[in-house]
Amino acid sequence: MPSISARQVTWNSLSWLAAPVAGLLCLPPVYVAYLACTAHPSVWTRLWTTRVPELLLNTFALAFSVAFGTLLLGVSLAWVVTRWDFPGRAFWEGALVLPLAMPTYVLAFIYSYLLGAGGPVEGAWQRLVGPEARLPSPHSYAGATLVMTLDTFPFVYVLARTALLNMNASYEEVAKACGASRPRILYRITLPLMRPAVVAGLSLVILYVVSDFGAVSLLRYQTLTYAVYQQLTGRYDQAAASILSLLLVVIALLFLYLERRSRHRSRFYQTTGRYRRRMPHPLSPLATILATLYVSAVWMASFGLPALLLIRWSWGALSSGAVDARFWAFAGNSVLLSGLAATVAMLLGFPLAYLATRRSTRLTQLSLQTAYAGYVLPGPVGALAWLAIVTNLMPFLLGSAVILVLAYVVHFLPAGLQALEPALEQVTPNLEEASRSLGLGLAATLRRITLPLAQGGMATAWVLMFLQSMKELPATLLLRPVGFDTLAVRVWLEASEEYYQLAAPSALLLVMMALPVIVLLEAQQRRAA
Amino acid sequence: MFHYHFQSGSGCFLVGGLVSLLIIAAAQTALSAPETEHLVVYSGRAERLIKPLLDAFQEKTGIRVDLLSSATTEIVNRLHAEGARTPADVLVTNDAGSLERARQLGLLRPLSDPGIAAVIPAPFRAADNSWIGLSGRVWAIVYNTSLVKPGELRSLLDLANPQWKDRIAIPNAGSEYLQAGVSVVHAVYGRDRTKRFLEGLKANAGTQVYGKSSQIVEAVAKGQVALGVVNHYYISRYLVNQPTAPIATLLPDQYEGGMGVVMNVAGIGITAHAKRPHLARRLVEYLVSEEGQKFFADLNKEYPLRPNVAADPSLPPFKTIRVAPVPLARLAELRESALSLIEEVGLR
Repeated sequence: MPSISARQVTWNSLSWLAAPVAGLLCLPPVYVAYLACTAHPSVWTRLWTTRVPELLLNTFALAFSVAFGTLLLGVSLAWVVTRWDFPGRAFWEGALVLPLAMPTYVLAFIYSYLLGAGGPVEGAWQRLVGPEARLPSPHSYAGATLVMTLDTFPFVYVLARTALLNMNASYEEVAKACGASRPRILYRITLPLMRPAVVAGLSLVILYVVSDFGAVSLLRYQTLTYAVYQQLTGRYDQAAASILSLLLVVIALLFLYLERRSRHRSRFYQTTGRYRRRMPHPLSPLATILATLYVSAVWMASFGLPALLLIRWSWGALSSGAVDARFWAFAGNSVLLSGLAATVAMLLGFPLAYLATRRSTRLTQLSLQTAYAGYVLPGPVGALAWLAIVTNLMPFLLGSAVILVLAYVVHFLPAGLQALEPALEQVTPNLEEASRSLGLGLAATLRRITLPLAQGGMATAWVLMFLQSMKELPATLLLRPVGFDTLAVRVWLEASEEYYQLAAPSALLLVMMALPVIVLLEAQQRRAA
Repeated sequence: MFHYHFQSGSGCFLVGGLVSLLIIAAAQTALSAPETEHLVVYSGRAERLIKPLLDAFQEKTGIRVDLLSSATTEIVNRLHAEGARTPADVLVTNDAGSLERARQLGLLRPLSDPGIAAVIPAPFRAADNSWIGLSGRVWAIVYNTSLVKPGELRSLLDLANPQWKDRIAIPNAGSEYLQAGVSVVHAVYGRDRTKRFLEGLKANAGTQVYGKSSQIVEAVAKGQVALGVVNHYYISRYLVNQPTAPIATLLPDQYEGGMGVVMNVAGIGITAHAKRPHLARRLVEYLVSEEGQKFFADLNKEYPLRPNVAADPSLPPFKTIRVAPVPLARLAELRESALSLIEEVGLR
């Protein structure tokens, strides 16, 4: 049996092993910052005087309007399905999370078809009003707001719903007994209690909007993230791209910091054990119709109609023979790359999370936190970073799949860690210690105690990282090896030339792979609530 | 102590991670190991306009062709970043400006056999034969014959006149040929005039900005707008399917002293670091052969550049067209300022 001191040494050296992994993970943002800082001052001045103000304005305007839109949709929908009872309520409660399965660029190309010049909505409008009638273009601020809102409102909806379900009915009843009017109860009791959840949802939305590439590029709305990609691909200019990237990283960091601070200041605790859930209020037939209309309209716009269109187009593509061996090869590439990425991320993330939960030292905590660096790296920024790192430091890796897998790992590890960390925290160290004291080594304890107990969370983490990698677009576009297109790349290549029918089968497959996972996670969430 | 590293689960995970990375790397290298008979083509031309030719070449010669399609500038950037390690043997793009740019960056090599290049007239290839034009396209105006009389406009710049407010359709700012067109107008008329032209174009088009030129032609045919700017072949293609559509082609600036139409070519070059230049040369040879020229141009109803190869009969004869006097190679240097102008004016 190893002596205590030997064990101590093992743990320490393990902690030191975590450091290089963390170093690898925060290499991209650091390298981008380095590139930006070494760029010629004239590039800085040119950007600040020409592009940056407009891009900042566009980015913030979009983030603001989408946050506002998701706030309205998310909270009102959560209210409708938790506070009111009407036929079909349970169905809608689950169905409203489905838009999460739809990548933003898929929704974007569907809406640029629907609302675009010469599209079906304009056609219908012209039949009503006359052939000269015009509709506002979807390739605009309004269009980008619409698409991003429809795609991201479930983030707010899910968290607001949980908050409403977990709210103790007695708070509102006490207020009512004290003679407070209904609007007053809403403003003084219910909404403040929902605030932490809603803020968390909104910050997810904002981070998502700021880092989105697919939708804004197909809708040609200039945000910082899109500008980074354009600098990289439309111009011959890495320096400008790195400066815009640094700006994005700083914004994302600031935002995360503010978000954490605001969360600290607004926590609510259930202080008594007398928790009662509020029962939903049955609706009159007329109100039922109105509620159903509202919920189904949002659902159709965000998921139903796009899914139907994808199915129709895919059917057309299928019957014209566009779903051939090449298509399945692309699907295979997607699965292979994403599977590798999720597995490597798991192998790198597990020790980080494990060490941080079991031997919490400053070093292990720091390593874990740096693994979240991927959060502040929107896709094109990550792609730029890896492109530059590989070109300058490891040219032998250029054009190989390794670099793509690395980019996925760094970008999506945070999503995995968020599922992995709680899973490991829930395994009580007592069990592991008991196992160790009965003579099992660290490896055997891991294999026989920790891994089986944390299995569920690990599977969730793997699947989340897998799915995110599947739909990743900008890094894949820039770093893919020759002859190694993925489904996401095919969607983008076809959709950006507006060959919707050819884009549809790949898009549909992406959505179909995400659906079961979302349904399972939703079921889990509801059991927990 | 060392012993424990390998017994510990976390260590195994770390090692496992690195090992799997190495395995991928090895697999990659194995996959990309040079075979005798295969060729890697980087292409900025829409896949459906190049794949059939490569398939035909593969059929004919038994040389396997691997294709990477992407946006033109991106593919040139990629070639540049990869330097000597690039797997690409051949670069194909739809824009002479980007080919010239690649030549200036030293990414292309002059064709070793000048005889192959000589079948294409000199204005359509690089001075040192680093790239060779394969097909030509011109910027044409498509108009609705019941809404516009041919005499109502004669210059591209007329499109900015207020009389066309809400009556024209234009391609989006991302399209390469809009960028090339603006470059040419800029070179001929200077910055201020070009800027006014773009502002007028933007105001007149309003929301009628399309991602796909076939939709512009369709909007004109349906009478939603009176005119549109597109590459010439979109008009011919539409008329093949809808011969009775009320549309016609107008080549602008053809009057005495006029600028002439904006022209651009799709072309090909062999990369400076090609591993298989001899195979690449065979592809070039095929594409400039009479058979290849006919196939390449007809696939998209463009003009073959080899003089004795006839263009599609539905097209106005190439010899009669007045072309803007801006050498194709200059498109490279003109591009940056054209992009800035487009951004400044805020075309979508």
